[in-house]
Amino acid sequence: MFAYLIRRVAIMVPTILLVSVVCFVVIQAAPGSFTDRYLEDPRMGPEAVARINVQLGLDKPLYQQYLRWITGIVTKGDFGFSFFANRPVSTVIGERLFWTVVIAGITMLFSWVVAVPLGIITALRRNGFTDAVSSFIGYVGLAVPDFLIALLLIALVLQTGGTQVGGLFSPKYIGVPWSWEKFLDFLNHMWIPILAIGTTGVASVMRQMRANLLDVLNADYVRTARAKGLAERRVINRHAVRTAINPLVSMLGLSLPELINGTIIASIVLNLPTIGPLLYDSLLAKDQYVAMTLLLLASVLLMVGNLLADVALAWVDPRIRYD
Amino acid sequence: MPRKTLMTLAIATVIAVGGAAFAQPKVVSYPGLGMEPGTVNGTLTLSLADSPPTFMYYGQIDNNTQTLTGVVFDSLVEFNLETYAIEPALAASWDVSADGTVYTFHLREGVKWHDGTPFTSADVVFTYTQIITNPEARAGDAAQFIYTVDGEQRAVTFAAPDDHTVVITLPAPSAAFLLQQRFPMMPKHKLLAYSVEGGAAQADINNAWSTDTPLSEVVGTGPYKYDSYVAGQKVGLVRNADYWKVDANGTSLPYAERLDYLVVRGNEAQAAQFLAGNLDTLNISGAQFPDFKSREVAGADFRVITSPALFGSPPHVAFNFDDPTFGPWFSDVAFRRAMEQAIDRDRIIDDVYNGLAEIPGTPTAPADGTFYEDTKSLMLPFDLAAAGAALDALGIKDTDGNGVRNVPGGKDLEFSLTYNVDSGTFTDMATIFQNDFAKIGVKANLVGVSGSALLGTGLAGDYQAIIIALGNQPDPELRKPIWQPGGSLYYWHRATQPAEPGGAPNFDAMATWERRVYDIFDQGTTLVDRDARVALYKEWQRLNAVNVPVIMVAKPANIAAVHDRVGNYVYNLGVIPGYNPVPLYYVK
Repeated sequence: MFAYLIRRVAIMVPTILLVSVVCFVVIQAAPGSFTDRYLEDPRMGPEAVARINVQLGLDKPLYQQYLRWITGIVTKGDFGFSFFANRPVSTVIGERLFWTVVIAGITMLFSWVVAVPLGIITALRRNGFTDAVSSFIGYVGLAVPDFLIALLLIALVLQTGGTQVGGLFSPKYIGVPWSWEKFLDFLNHMWIPILAIGTTGVASVMRQMRANLLDVLNADYVRTARAKGLAERRVINRHAVRTAINPLVSMLGLSLPELINGTIIASIVLNLPTIGPLLYDSLLAKDQYVAMTLLLLASVLLMVGNLLADVALAWVDPRIRYD
Repeated sequence: MPRKTLMTLAIATVIAVGGAAFAQPKVVSYPGLGMEPGTVNGTLTLSLADSPPTFMYYGQIDNNTQTLTGVVFDSLVEFNLETYAIEPALAASWDVSADGTVYTFHLREGVKWHDGTPFTSADVVFTYTQIITNPEARAGDAAQFIYTVDGEQRAVTFAAPDDHTVVITLPAPSAAFLLQQRFPMMPKHKLLAYSVEGGAAQADINNAWSTDTPLSEVVGTGPYKYDSYVAGQKVGLVRNADYWKVDANGTSLPYAERLDYLVVRGNEAQAAQFLAGNLDTLNISGAQFPDFKSREVAGADFRVITSPALFGSPPHVAFNFDDPTFGPWFSDVAFRRAMEQAIDRDRIIDDVYNGLAEIPGTPTAPADGTFYEDTKSLMLPFDLAAAGAALDALGIKDTDGNGVRNVPGGKDLEFSLTYNVDSGTFTDMATIFQNDFAKIGVKANLVGVSGSALLGTGLAGDYQAIIIALGNQPDPELRKPIWQPGGSLYYWHRATQPAEPGGAPNFDAMATWERRVYDIFDQGTTLVDRDARVALYKEWQRLNAVNVPVIMVAKPANIAAVHDRVGNYVYNLGVIPGYNPVPLYYVK
């Protein structure tokens, strides 16, 4: 197992390097430059813009810009400088990390807590009424984009005279210490992103769980378990579900990069202070080191998620061994 | 509240009132705008379109940083909110020498920075010499302070003979100089370490006051002080009780005790926050008007206010004079005059702006009482038959019978029309143009680019026809780089631009009328006689109307929605230095 881990991590290094090159090329290939924003301003002459280009290192050849960035990361853990915020990229991303993880965590938890039992129920009562209703909701959830659900929920809240139409708190609770009222206000705001973002997740996890369990329920060892005279509950929980849930563990690992790029539009619509809109803005503004760092981070999360999923699989499934 | 705190508060109030008594107040009153004396209380909540990248105004060109700076900092002079005339602000008065080259500013007495340090001439000189004229400051204005006199570059100089006097000496007279002195003044005692004078590199000034700086460091002289900042959510400000403006009753401004800027991205989200009552005012677009107005009529607790706009950006259609395929026609006045008649301004105003726009100037805003020249009679109205006839006269006819006109030589008159795809207004406009062009056998293929890439596309000459909106300012001198042939933003005829940045423009490429416009702007810069300047710029507008360098389309009005609890509302773009009505808003 240990040797396997070392091998996997070792493979990740060249992959990440390759990804970083691709990120850089993709961002450079987009038209325009960060300093375009200065051109319309009456205060800026072309000389001034040229000077800013030098200041930001944008006058250097592309390969030098890339090497400087990647060397900084490897040697000093320095992810470069945000042109826009005039400070290190790590602090720009850092200040949004907390809410990103919290919101992604809560919505993911919601979709799993709802989806897994629903998947089990619909598999057990296949073709019944519950199955039909859940599947219908599941398909709709899959088909409707999260931002549209968010917009509809906002319209609903407005229609009913509510005030929690986006953001995490009412204005008066932003920036004040936590209190019971603030927490209630937070919950009052959070249900919209939970429903909007979480519903899409519910659908896919539920469908997956249902399909897996249906496969397993027909397997020989389930029949054997039943034949042994085990209680049905025990057959389902101990034998069927435990096996059926394995592919979901891989799914969970693969969903890690969604922390960054999963909910960009919904976050913008719902006005959430997360990393998604930051990525969107930095791509538009060509704030290249912020964009590159976020893209790199997303791919690292994908690889780490994959690795964690594989390790977790070995742990939950006795049939999987990596030696 | 504990007794001790109350005591401290009481003492603080006495000190604050005492301090205000020594100040030299400016009485602000706009009965003409319907303003009435308000009371000091409450919280105003306005919106920011995004988090500010920095609190340092001169460190980044950004609307959100500019909006915040407008309520935290002051400049030497400011606009009258009603007439757009220049009025005293931090400079209580000034003298100009007879030859127009020496400006002596007498600073307002008793003004303090938010941390209590007195504001003096040293701060003003520091702001000019270390920040504004610092060529590495990203939002500085160094070029403005270098004059070319007799072919030689000479710099403006700054001196502080005493604590309350600043003398600025120009190498040559400059007509718009006073108007340009709306630069926010910065505290020397907080920023010295980031300046060359304090031993730092020139570019270091950009790194001052990043948004993770303790807010007690970010001090201005303005009506509000920074109080709290939550990234991506809210900027909280509190009233500066020591502020130097008072209303007609002697009540010190600003009125609102607290001013919160909620970070709300996007029009829809902002509209939702406003309708939910979380925002007190909101600037809206013509497209949003019907929804808001119908809610107002149905009894909602807000009102929709419209007014003619001076600032703000009227869209135009530009044809690329230097286009390799159609350049010879696009650069022909007769061609552009023909196409002008295929632009249905009235329909754009009615359908796209819901009637909340007017026929634009060429290009000065009709709301500009000083410089606007009414050129409506010189502009050609929408007339497809006339447009077609004019194209016929140029020999641009459909010779191959495919429904698209052919330029002499046989090529179809088929070009790309680039527009900002992020904006519904521009998308609608582009579609209307495309349809009308098709009716006269001109084929335009729509090319959408993101709003942030639009101007860059224009400046790179990477288009054939394009729809762009560039802002109006109260003096044409401030828009010289756009409208003077050879200017850095004169993007529709790039052949006139200098071969080397900063070099002489390419006069050979200019048409006769372009050369005249060039000279008008050159003279307008130094001419001190106001009437003569106005006459020059009016001539320029007439030249523009008949030569249509670009086809001006419409001038959108200011539209805002304001909750009934807010009094004294005056439309506020937020980002215009020296134009800031927020201290006058009050909570009922």
